[in-house]
Amino acid sequence: MTLMTPFETRSSPVKRIAVIQGEVRTSADPDVELTTVLGSCVATCLYDPVARIGGMNHFLLAEPPEHQRSSGDFDEHYGLYLMELLINRMIGCGAVKGRMKARLFGGANFYHTIQQIGAINAEFARRFLQQEGIGLVNADLGGTCARRVHFRPASGQVRCKNTEAKAIAAPQPTRRPPTALGEVELF
Amino acid sequence: MTKTTRILTVDDSASMRALLLHALTQSGFEVEQAEDGQVALEWLETNEVDLVITDINMPRLDGFGLIEQLRAGPLHRDKPILVLTTESSDEKKQRARQAGATGWIVKPFDAAKLASAVRRVAH
Repeated sequence: MTLMTPFETRSSPVKRIAVIQGEVRTSADPDVELTTVLGSCVATCLYDPVARIGGMNHFLLAEPPEHQRSSGDFDEHYGLYLMELLINRMIGCGAVKGRMKARLFGGANFYHTIQQIGAINAEFARRFLQQEGIGLVNADLGGTCARRVHFRPASGQVRCKNTEAKAIAAPQPTRRPPTALGEVELF
Repeated sequence: MTKTTRILTVDDSASMRALLLHALTQSGFEVEQAEDGQVALEWLETNEVDLVITDINMPRLDGFGLIEQLRAGPLHRDKPILVLTTESSDEKKQRARQAGATGWIVKPFDAAKLASAVRRVAH
């Protein structure tokens, strides 16, 4: 499947920024284009059409498993954290949560295993947006193909094309050092 | 009999509220929740808690505004307030400190560290 909104022809050169697993990027620069390649991961493209601010996250897993939630042992690769980080960074740049629109991509299932990680990621992303009251404009989720996404955050324009699975970067479990997780500072 | 520590968590994210509720109740705390600073402020006019844990970026009234208003009023002037946020800048941290926050915790939070901080500051 190919999902496209017309990209404006730009007189100035486009600044492409890759968004890798575990990352969040936001921008109001009309020259910026955020790009990513997805397999079972999901990318959320959020956009405030009034403030003309947008951002993208790229998460590997949806939520920490039940047994880890009370221990808090989860990191920035989880969608639960990266969704909140994306929303908060956009609010910090002047976006308004009630105006945000979302597009979702990825969540492919390459193998017929018991745990369909892509489907779990896609379901989590849909549910999260619904819980947060953020409108889902469109989604290209599931299937068995890798996807390449180009998103212009200042205009909300997006292009998603199927690509070869070999273009996907191998998962990099670059966990934060334990001391940096949930750091507490009492004043 | 030891009194259970009652906490108000303030966060606009329903998912984060659910995660906080789970983590704090598992640690033995009683938890109340508000979805933004304004709701929290109104609720605190008629309710008592031992501690407030608040996010920063929220619609209507953000965490800074909530702390400032609680510190300016007579009811919660000395109440411990922990900020739990995705923000990591020193500027924001200093602003929270100047507003009257008791502590600063960066998300994603560690439930054990959060519970430990709550026990240290709760009166």
